[in-house]
Amino acid sequence: MAVNNGEPGSAERQSGFTRRGFISAGATTATLPLIAGRALAGTPAQRAEAPDGDGKMNVTLRVNGQDQRLGLDSRTSLLDALRDHIGVTGTKKGCDHGQCGACTVLMDGKRVLSCMTLAVMAQGQDITTIEGLARPDGELHPMQQAFIDNDAFQCGYCTPGQILSAIGCVNEGHAGSDAEIREYMSGNLCRCAAYPNIVAAVQQAKTEMKEA
Amino acid sequence: MNVAVPPPKENMGQPVARLEARSKVTGEARYSADFPLNNLAHGVLVTSAIAAGSIKSLDLEAARAVPGVIEIFTQENVKGLKDPKFGQGNSSSVQPFNGPKIWHDEQMLALVVANTHEAAEDAAYRLRASYDETKPSATFDSPGSQTLDAVGNTESHKEDPKLGDVEAALATAPVKIDVKYSTPTQHHNPIELFSTTASWQDDKLTIYEPSQFVYGYKNGVAEQLGVDPANVRVVSPLIGGAFGSKGPMTPRTAVVAYAARALNRPIRCVVSRMQGFTTATYRAETRHHIRMGATPDGRIVAYSHEGWEVTSRPDNYVVGGTETTSLVYAYGAVGTRVQIVKADRNTPGYMRSPPETPYMYALESAMDEMAAALKMDPVEFRRVNDTQKEPIKGRPYTSRSLMTCYDQAAEAFGWKKRNPAVGSMRDGDWLIGMGCSTAIYPTNIGPAAVRVRLSPKGEVRIETAAHEIGTGIRTVAGQMAAEPLGLDMKMVTVETGDTDFPPAPVAGGSNSTASVCSAVLVASNRIRDRLFRAAVTSNDGPLAGRNPGDLGMKGGMIVAADGASVKLADLFGQMGSGVIEEYVEHTPEGMPPESMAKLYSGQSSFKRGSQGDKIRFAFGAEFVEVRIHSRTREIRIPRIVGAFAGGRIMNPRTARSQLMGGMIWGIGAGLLEATEIDPRAARYVNRDLAEYMVAVNADVNQLEVILVPEEDHEVNEAGVKGVGELGNVGTPAAIQAAVFHATGKRIRDLPIRLDDLLNV
Ligand code: FES
Ligand code: FES
Repeated sequence: MAVNNGEPGSAERQSGFTRRGFISAGATTATLPLIAGRALAGTPAQRAEAPDGDGKMNVTLRVNGQDQRLGLDSRTSLLDALRDHIGVTGTKKGCDHGQCGACTVLMDGKRVLSCMTLAVMAQGQDITTIEGLARPDGELHPMQQAFIDNDAFQCGYCTPGQILSAIGCVNEGHAGSDAEIREYMSGNLCRCAAYPNIVAAVQQAKTEMKEA
Repeated sequence: MNVAVPPPKENMGQPVARLEARSKVTGEARYSADFPLNNLAHGVLVTSAIAAGSIKSLDLEAARAVPGVIEIFTQENVKGLKDPKFGQGNSSSVQPFNGPKIWHDEQMLALVVANTHEAAEDAAYRLRASYDETKPSATFDSPGSQTLDAVGNTESHKEDPKLGDVEAALATAPVKIDVKYSTPTQHHNPIELFSTTASWQDDKLTIYEPSQFVYGYKNGVAEQLGVDPANVRVVSPLIGGAFGSKGPMTPRTAVVAYAARALNRPIRCVVSRMQGFTTATYRAETRHHIRMGATPDGRIVAYSHEGWEVTSRPDNYVVGGTETTSLVYAYGAVGTRVQIVKADRNTPGYMRSPPETPYMYALESAMDEMAAALKMDPVEFRRVNDTQKEPIKGRPYTSRSLMTCYDQAAEAFGWKKRNPAVGSMRDGDWLIGMGCSTAIYPTNIGPAAVRVRLSPKGEVRIETAAHEIGTGIRTVAGQMAAEPLGLDMKMVTVETGDTDFPPAPVAGGSNSTASVCSAVLVASNRIRDRLFRAAVTSNDGPLAGRNPGDLGMKGGMIVAADGASVKLADLFGQMGSGVIEEYVEHTPEGMPPESMAKLYSGQSSFKRGSQGDKIRFAFGAEFVEVRIHSRTREIRIPRIVGAFAGGRIMNPRTARSQLMGGMIWGIGAGLLEATEIDPRAARYVNRDLAEYMVAVNADVNQLEVILVPEEDHEVNEAGVKGVGELGNVGTPAAIQAAVFHATGKRIRDLPIRLDDLLNV
């Protein structure tokens, strides 16, 4: 049935660094209530001392070929670092929980969920966002063009994540057939349900990507 | 041309690419939460842990101690907000910050504002509340829930349609069925999260928020804050999916605006996916009891439909789908009744084809059951009861191509190859079933205003506060100007989603194409007329003295039949004009003249498809093949075909995409989607995208959309019927019928999941 947490949902396997993995390793926060934002009765847990006090950490991220030096709260996700601190807002937040794929970026060419990746752990890797795909002269990446040619979006909100995921899918060698594309693109939800057009776009672009 | 870009058939426009396509694939497209603002503070909501009762006290100490926290807004320090008015563009009549009462689970309690998103979240975790809790009523049959007739207790459901004596007709009907159906709670879950960003410059407020009705938000937030609406601007250029969820304004908007004013600092509040389940609206669960009687040759002599819908304590929301279902076939007698059931829940709201989705599911499922009882082919049963006039008052449809849709879809699907015997079709381990259903959606239209400007270079700019939610409204509005002005789409810019532009109706009820395109057409024709008049009256131009009726426009020129022409730039020069602009307010025929003025003050109204001497509906037919694994009971949908007739199709590419998206929504509704409710706590338990299952790419295999040509000059000036909500209306009933055909089992409660089929 639905494969909501299939590729690229399990970012851990791909990058080794995620917010989930980081927190369960016990580094930053002691006891967070399990339910976000619900006002429970009782006494809140003592605030755990962050390792860096309350100061910011210096973080350097290489985004679309440019180094970005930032002072970040150590808890900042790569997604929020991109959107709120660097100002590349093409990467989208759809759940912040690794369930929708809207925040997919490429790290060293592999697709990764940026909401599940701490910014500090993304240092030293090449991060590609949707803004980094077209050539400087404006020529679109074959996958971008294929999405236009096949009307592979409606609202366009999932689209940056779909396009980066699709490039990852082709590069992984998982775009062999329609069925394989469907399976390996099922971690990217599209509520407008452009799915058949997304499959057509991947089929179109994969040939051109090989030729390029 | 590939399948995503179908060539136009008769009465269809060109399948041009979306105007904003490039920006959507490059990341340049700006959604509401993407606007950069100086000195932005971040807001995080805290919501209640109980569903009924009141707040005794709030403990903010630990939350305040989090470094970076600026202020925490609660009922203690938010003062003077007016309660919203339910039914006038607001999601509910309750502004939760106005008092301690808790009406539903996860109601907004506090807004934590901090310098960073991380600090705000951290503090929100640490806020504690103590409650006086009462036992909540969760849903149907819960102790304490209250059942009321929709008639007399709701604004929108004013009468229960009926015809003749349905009980007498049932008593004597030779063939009868008596069946009950249900549909679950569903949440829209657009991929874009709900958010509000509020920024004040002195007494001027700008709100960036994904909205399906910016003029409604503008006036609604002004009303709650007690400020002049003229000082409020709402910006929502592109919306990341909505499906109804961003139509009514929720109480959050005014709270964030209030906080930004109090702190004199812009605030962005992005609502978490979980909190989106309770701080916005949803599709309420429904129940249906249908009794139907027919003659042995398949004429429906009696149709009785009772519906029940859940709503909240404070607000009587209803969809009342019998208004549509009672018009669909040539019934002999009709009896209907809609009731609402009040429980301790957030107030439901519009979700893609709000009335038709649940009520047509019940009607069309019953149609399949009756066809089986009659031993008739389900398509032929619909044909016998097809009609060009609705049965209640005998009013004709302006056009109705239902059976053409059935014939074309059946042909493409290969319906003839279906063996009607239940459980007779099989492919190895897979049981095969095939089913079909009617889709119907009213053609609504409302007043709309547009500004269309033409430059001497032939550039057209259209401004309207319509809403680009992914339907392609910018593109079709652009086409509506490019065609009469004879210009390439490259010359067209369309700006939407801003209260600085002329008002357009709420992007709901599939009205936008009809409403906005009608206004654009009038404006473009006026510009043409002005140019033609200038061309023929100029003293010595090449077209001087000709009949304006003989002129046309092409490629930036005014041309006559014999080839004589004048360039736009030259004509503008003669006219002494820098630009030509038309501001058009279009009020559809038959609507009260004051409806335009009301639109400016945030009240959107429609002429509904079921109103008037002739009624206006779009139709479709959907066919589904299901495969059920004989051992695991896994249910797959290898094929789905839909044929739809929607008047003039402005753009086959965007129309097909909307219908396709709708059909896939139908797959989700048939097999996957349900918000589960804990009956003790009145709490949604699967409040995220991992547990609330929507269709993913792997759930969709072969899908075919057939656009059936249809010409309808009576429906409205533009000749268009909306198709955004038509596609998902028929799918669930077709799936239900196909599951029965495969297994012999009627699963009447959606969604149909493998555990329903264990002992088949
Ligand atoms: S998966 Fe990262 S925002 Fe949804
Ligand atoms: S295009 Fe709207 S969610 Fe995919």
